[in-house]
Amino acid sequence: MKNNSINKEIRRVIVVLVMICVLFVSLMVYLTYFQVFRAESVKMNSYNKRLWINEEKILRGSIIDRNGKILAYSEKDGETYKRVYNYGNLYGHIIGYSYRELGKAGLELRYNNELLNISKSSALNELKNIVAPNTEGNTLKLTIDHHLQELSRSLLQGKKGAIVAMNPTTGEIYSMVSMPDFNPSALRESWSDIVEDENSPLLNRAISGLYQPGSTFKVITAIAAIETGTAEKGYTCKGSTTIGGAPFSCYNKTVHGNLQLTEALVKSCNLYFAEKGVEVGIEKLEEVSERFYMNKTIPFDLPVVKSSFPNRMNMDKASVAAASMGQGEVLISPLNMAMIASAIANNGEVVKPILVKEIISPEGSIVDFAEREVLSNGTDGFTASELTNMMVEVVQRGTGKNARISGVKVAGKTGTAENHTGKDHAWFIGFAPADNPKVALAVVLEEEGSSGGTAAAPIAKKIILEALNTIE
Amino acid sequence: MFNGRINYRLPRNLLFVFELLALMLIFLYYRHTLNRITVIYSLALILLVYISNFLLLKITSGDNFIFLIVTMLVSIGVIMIYRIDPELGIKQILWIGMGIMLFFMTYLVFKRIRGWENWFLLYALASIALFILTLVLGTNIKGATNWIRIGSFGLQPSEIIKILAIFLIASYYTNHEKFTRMKFGKYYLLGIIYVFVLFLFLQKDLGSVLIFLSVFIALQFIYEEDRKLVLINLSILVVCAIAGYFLFSHVQSRVHTWLDPWKYIDTRGYQITQSLFAIAEGGFFGTGLGLGYPEFIPEVHTDFIFPAICEEMGIFTGIGIIMLFLILVYRGFKIAINQKYKSYRIVALGISILFGIQSFIIFGGVLNMIPLTGITIPFVSYGGSSMLSSFIALGILQVASEELDLDEE
Repeated sequence: MKNNSINKEIRRVIVVLVMICVLFVSLMVYLTYFQVFRAESVKMNSYNKRLWINEEKILRGSIIDRNGKILAYSEKDGETYKRVYNYGNLYGHIIGYSYRELGKAGLELRYNNELLNISKSSALNELKNIVAPNTEGNTLKLTIDHHLQELSRSLLQGKKGAIVAMNPTTGEIYSMVSMPDFNPSALRESWSDIVEDENSPLLNRAISGLYQPGSTFKVITAIAAIETGTAEKGYTCKGSTTIGGAPFSCYNKTVHGNLQLTEALVKSCNLYFAEKGVEVGIEKLEEVSERFYMNKTIPFDLPVVKSSFPNRMNMDKASVAAASMGQGEVLISPLNMAMIASAIANNGEVVKPILVKEIISPEGSIVDFAEREVLSNGTDGFTASELTNMMVEVVQRGTGKNARISGVKVAGKTGTAENHTGKDHAWFIGFAPADNPKVALAVVLEEEGSSGGTAAAPIAKKIILEALNTIE
Repeated sequence: MFNGRINYRLPRNLLFVFELLALMLIFLYYRHTLNRITVIYSLALILLVYISNFLLLKITSGDNFIFLIVTMLVSIGVIMIYRIDPELGIKQILWIGMGIMLFFMTYLVFKRIRGWENWFLLYALASIALFILTLVLGTNIKGATNWIRIGSFGLQPSEIIKILAIFLIASYYTNHEKFTRMKFGKYYLLGIIYVFVLFLFLQKDLGSVLIFLSVFIALQFIYEEDRKLVLINLSILVVCAIAGYFLFSHVQSRVHTWLDPWKYIDTRGYQITQSLFAIAEGGFFGTGLGLGYPEFIPEVHTDFIFPAICEEMGIFTGIGIIMLFLILVYRGFKIAINQKYKSYRIVALGISILFGIQSFIIFGGVLNMIPLTGITIPFVSYGGSSMLSSFIALGILQVASEELDLDEE
C-alpha cells in the first residue's frame, strides 16, 4: 500500500518533469527557428536602431550614373550628415530614400552596408576598425544613363506607366522610370499625401507593377509555335470565332484571312495565336514563359515582383487561348518584358538585369562590380533570329510603324491589353539595331485607352534614337 | 565514469577559466574607465565562486551540481550586467556575495530545524501579512505595485512569498490526512492560494500570478488524492483566464501585443520588438562582448537580460542558459525522488518547478513565444530581492538533497 503510493507519486513527478522538459525544448527549437528563418527580415525593420547607428559617424557614399554624374550625396549638417537627392523625382524609385523617420527604400536600403562601408562583423574587421575607423562610405556607380533617364521620364509626363530600357547583351539598365513618382527630397513634408494617393506613387511599376501583356506576349507564343513546328501550318482568320465555348475576335474584328506566323505577328492577329496556343498546349507555353523567368523571382538589385503565367490543372481551352494572346490570367512586370525583348535580341539568352555597375571605395578603387550573367536559355539562336526578322517587319509595315527610324532596323511588338478598368494598357517592346542590338526596351502606358502602336511605339522610338545616339 | 565518482573539479575549473576570459574582454571594452575597485570586486567574485564551490564539497553530503550550475548562471548574468552598466555590475557582485552567504546560512540553519512541516498557519499568515504590507506601502514600478521602499532600498515581498507558498503547500500535503478529516479541510489550500493570486492580480503582477498557479497546480497534480479537485482547479483557472482577458484591459493589451508586436512597435510593442532585434542581430555566435547594442532595449538589465546575452554572446549561449536551467530542474527533481521524507520532497519539487517555470515564462516572453510578463530570470537578471530569495531557495534545495535522519534527535 505504502509502496504503491510512492510509485504513483514518482510516476506523477516524472509526468511533471517531462512537461517542463517539453517547455524548455520548445524554447530552444523556437529560438533556433527564429534565428534561421525570421532573423534576417526582422533585422531590416527600420525601427532597428542598429541600422542607423553608423549613420552618425560615417559619410554615406554618393550614387552616380554610368558617366559619373552625381545623383545623390551626403553633406555635413552640423553634427550629423544630410542626404541630398540632386534630381528629385527622377530617381525616387531607383535610389529610394533614407530617412530616420520614414526608414529606407530602394538602393539606399539594398546597398545600405556598402554605402556606409560596413563590412560583415568579424574579429579582423573589428580590429581594423579600432586601428583605422572608416569615416566614409562607398560610392555606387549605376548603369543608368542620366540623359536617357531624363528623356524617359519626360515622355511619361502626365501619364501612368513604366519604361525600362537596357543593354540586351550585358543586362545593364539604361533607364527605368515609373509614373506617377515622388520626390525623395520632399518626402517628409508630403508623406501623408503620397501614402494616401490612390495612384500609388511609391509603387515602382517597372518592377512591382503587374500588367496583362496583351499582344506583346505573342512573341512567347510564337517561340512555342516555332519550337514545336506548329508554326509551319497556316491559319485562316475570319475576324471572330469561338474557342472552348467562348467568343474570341481580332482587334476591331478585322478579318485577316489566310496567314502564316510572320503575317500574324505583323498584323497582330489574335485568333492565329489563340489557335496556335491551344495547339501547342498550356504545358509548352508555361515551359517557354518560365524560361523567360515568369513564375520565377528575377534576381535584381531591387526586389522584383514575380510575373505569373497560369499553370492550373485542367485549364479549359478558352483560358489557354486567352493566355496565348497575353490576356486573362497572364500578368507580367515591365522589367520582365524588357528582359524578353533583350533575350530575343541576344540569340535567346536571358541575361540578368543589372542596375549597380560598380561599388567604388572612397580611395577610388573598385571594390565590387557586376558581371554579365546568363540566367537561362530562353530559346535557341535560330528561333531568336527568325523571330527578330518577324519583329523587324512588325515595325516596318505592321502595327509598330510608329517606331520606325530611317536608317535603323528596329524590331518590335505592340500590345493593347484589355483589363478590368475598360481602358486598355498600351505596350511596346523591342530592340535596335536588329542585326547588332544595342538597346532593348519595354514601354507600358497604364489605362491609356489607346493601342500600343499609337501610344507606346512613338515613345519607344524616341528612346531608341536617343540611346543609339548618346550611349557608348 | 571515473570509477563511479564524478569529477567536480573539471567543471569548477572550466567555470573559472570562463570567468577570467569574459572579464578580460570586459576590461578591454572598458579599458578607458577601468579602476582599481572594479578589478578587485571582479577578482573577489571569481574567488568567492571558486571557494564556495570548493567549500560546499567539503560540508555537504548531498548534490554538488546545483550550486555549480547556479554559479555559472550568476557569472554569465553579472558579466552581461557589468557590460551594460558597470555601476550596476558592481552592485550585482555585492548581491551575489550576499546571496552566496545567505545560501550557506540557509543551508546550515534549515538543516537543523525540525517540525517546520507543521507550521501551516504561520506560512499562511506571514504571506498574507506581506501581501497587505505591499498593498499599503507599495510603490508603483513599471505598472506593477509589487515593491516596498525602505529608504533607498527596494524590496519585492512576492519573492519571499513564493518560498513561503511552497512551504505552505508542503506542510499541507505532509499533513494531508489531518486536513482532510476537518470540515472543508480539502479546500483550505485551494482557498489560500486563490487569495494569494487575487492579491497578485491587484498588484497587476501577472508574471507572479502565472508562477504561483503553475507551482500550485504541478504540486497539486502530484499530491492531491482527490483527483476531482485537480480538475476543478484547472477549470476554475480556464474560466478565470478567459474572464480576466475580457474584464481587464491590461491583460488584453498583453495578448494583443503578443499576437502582433509590429503593429504596436511605437508604443507597447516597443520593448519586445527591440528585444527581437537584439536576438536577430546576435546570430548564432553573437557580436562579441561590447560590440552589440543591447542598451537599445529598455529594462535590459532585469527582465530583458536574455536578449542582451543573445545579441553579444549568440543564441548558442542563450540555448546554453536554457539548458543550464533544464539541468538545474532535472537535478532538483532527482533530489526529490531520492529524498526519504515527504515534506522535503515537496519543497524540493516546489523549488525546482519555481526555477523552471519562472525562467520559462521570461525566456518565452522576451522571444515573443508567449505573452510577455515582466519577471526576472532567477540568478541571471539584475535585482537584489530576486537574487537573495533565489539563493535562499537553493540553500533549501541543498538541504533536501542530503540523506536526512529526522528521528535521530
